[in-house]
Amino acid sequence: MIVGGCDLGSTTGKAAIMIDDKIYCGDIIPATTKPALTATMAMDSALKKAGLKSIDEIEYIIGTGYGRQKVPFASEDISEISCHGKGAYWALQSVRTIIDIGGQDCKAIAISDKGVVTQFEMNERCAAGTGRFFQVMAKVLTCGLEGIGSVSNISDNPVSISNQCSVFAESEVITLINDEKSIPDIITGINQSVAKRVVSLVRRVGIHDDVTLTGGCSKNLGLKKALENLLGTTIKPLPVDPQSIGAIGAAVFAKEKLLAKRAKELEVSSKE
Amino acid sequence: MDLIKNSEVFRKLSGIAGTINNSGIENLKKEGGKVAGYTCSFVPEELLIAAGFMPFRIRGTGSKSADLANDYFQAANICSMVRHCFNHILTGEYDFLDAAIIGGGCDANRHILDNWEKSDAKIPFLHRIFFPHATGDLMVEYFRNQLADMKAGIEKHFGIEVTDEKIWNAIKLCNEARDLQKELYSLRKADNPPITGAETVDVIVAGNSMPKEEYIADLKTLLNELKNTKVEDKNYKARLMIIGPCHDDTSMCDIIEGLGGITVTDLTCFGAKIIYGRVKDSGADPLQAIAEYQVQDRPFCPKNLGAHPIISKTVFENIKDYKVDGIIGQNMLCCDTWGGELYILNKELKEAGIPMLRIEREYIPDSLGQIQTRVQAFLETITGGTQ
Repeated sequence: MIVGGCDLGSTTGKAAIMIDDKIYCGDIIPATTKPALTATMAMDSALKKAGLKSIDEIEYIIGTGYGRQKVPFASEDISEISCHGKGAYWALQSVRTIIDIGGQDCKAIAISDKGVVTQFEMNERCAAGTGRFFQVMAKVLTCGLEGIGSVSNISDNPVSISNQCSVFAESEVITLINDEKSIPDIITGINQSVAKRVVSLVRRVGIHDDVTLTGGCSKNLGLKKALENLLGTTIKPLPVDPQSIGAIGAAVFAKEKLLAKRAKELEVSSKE
Repeated sequence: MDLIKNSEVFRKLSGIAGTINNSGIENLKKEGGKVAGYTCSFVPEELLIAAGFMPFRIRGTGSKSADLANDYFQAANICSMVRHCFNHILTGEYDFLDAAIIGGGCDANRHILDNWEKSDAKIPFLHRIFFPHATGDLMVEYFRNQLADMKAGIEKHFGIEVTDEKIWNAIKLCNEARDLQKELYSLRKADNPPITGAETVDVIVAGNSMPKEEYIADLKTLLNELKNTKVEDKNYKARLMIIGPCHDDTSMCDIIEGLGGITVTDLTCFGAKIIYGRVKDSGADPLQAIAEYQVQDRPFCPKNLGAHPIISKTVFENIKDYKVDGIIGQNMLCCDTWGGELYILNKELKEAGIPMLRIEREYIPDSLGQIQTRVQAFLETITGGTQ
């Protein structure tokens, strides 16, 4: 059985292909201005990784992410909230709380011991607590996103960033730079500021171990540490790329849907 | 459902809900009729009809910007509904009004009158009516006096007499409209309702935007059509109820229904809240009857102290009656009273095992992609991802 998932996020496109129970993730593709093109590029990469020649070999595909309705080859679409829940559970069955921090939003997702989403919270429209916030800060600090997420920039003496709004926080950081505060102190302060915002969402769904982190911002080690401190628990790493979890979850859903479809067809044909 | 799309009377009502001025108003004005605008559902249409006006509930439908209004509303905590309504007033959308009664239900609403008086948008008669922020006999008496002031103001300005008989007749007329609207709602209790949530919003909004007798006749026709409609099995993913303040557009229902769910009831200020119950239609004092209805019988606005128990009771009754699977708490940005109410309700619903999704949005629909993601995930949560 060959199935696939395509996660068309706000800043990147991801695809995963499942052959029997083995997952093949494609490269992370920066979003283009054409959602269908981003989806195709992501899926082409996954096809290569899976050693498949054509998308026609995939029997069922689920689209997810903001652009889920624009995935041209998807059989149907499912929200990224459900897909992150499904994907994280597939990767690590002990997971009960998922923190997904993407390019434009962050979500706290609670799942049951069967991997079904029971509750979720999502940030409102502003960029606070999202990848966009880090992008703005990385530009001001001229350190790139890698610098913001680097373990070498974790400080024991972080500054306090009081503004949640990325526009006001940018001014605050500029002031701190001019006060000659050290870059690691500022970066740790930024990560703590985002972590505070995210943890308030997580508290609303409840903090239940194991907790894991997904989405592009899961690669920010400073943020991970700040979250662990505030949550009072360890964030469990996943055995697959956490940025591709939405696409993986979509592929797992695709498998379930295909099996259900086949079972229904079998039931109908046996009645005939 | 397709039948209603082809229904001439539905198309008429939907058209009225989707605009401000309409041909019914234009015809009425040509014949010398008068129209009175009002904000907030606590302003009694009964008294306006008794005074010879066609009541029109002021909305911001179709507004593309609140730029002009923003010059007047400097405080950041004024909601976007008030801003868009006032922008329409400034751009002349409401020039057909002969009078306006501004309800002081919430502070944001109250400021419409303050700014209207300061602006160049002129209107022959502008009156403010205060609502008590509590319930009880003393508050009924207070509101009855407010109604008497409103009546006296209209009588003096327009040189008319609003007799008790005229008010009783208007009460009966509005009760008839409410009864028919409730009948429409009860059709939605069916497993496959003959009318969607989005369509219901249009029908109810039209009721405050056209002559009442004409609306009653149209609603009777529509009900007759709906009762004779054979509805196919739709197998909805979930039956939802919307709770919150005064959103008068169909966007939330459109999202829910576009994703395979259905909105079967609500507790909103352009929906079930305004069709609740009946005003007593006989007795010694019609103003007392209206005051008792507004203050005692339907204190559904969380600005009222003591409103929560009746809001909560009604929500739980509706969950049972309409077989509701989940609740969408749709708040208006800046509406702190509804924000607090939805927080309390969420806790109660959670304890009862009823899922609730809280969404805060502006009056004019925006960020629909994000809202759609949440609603879709909410439906998936209710169905356990099985559909």
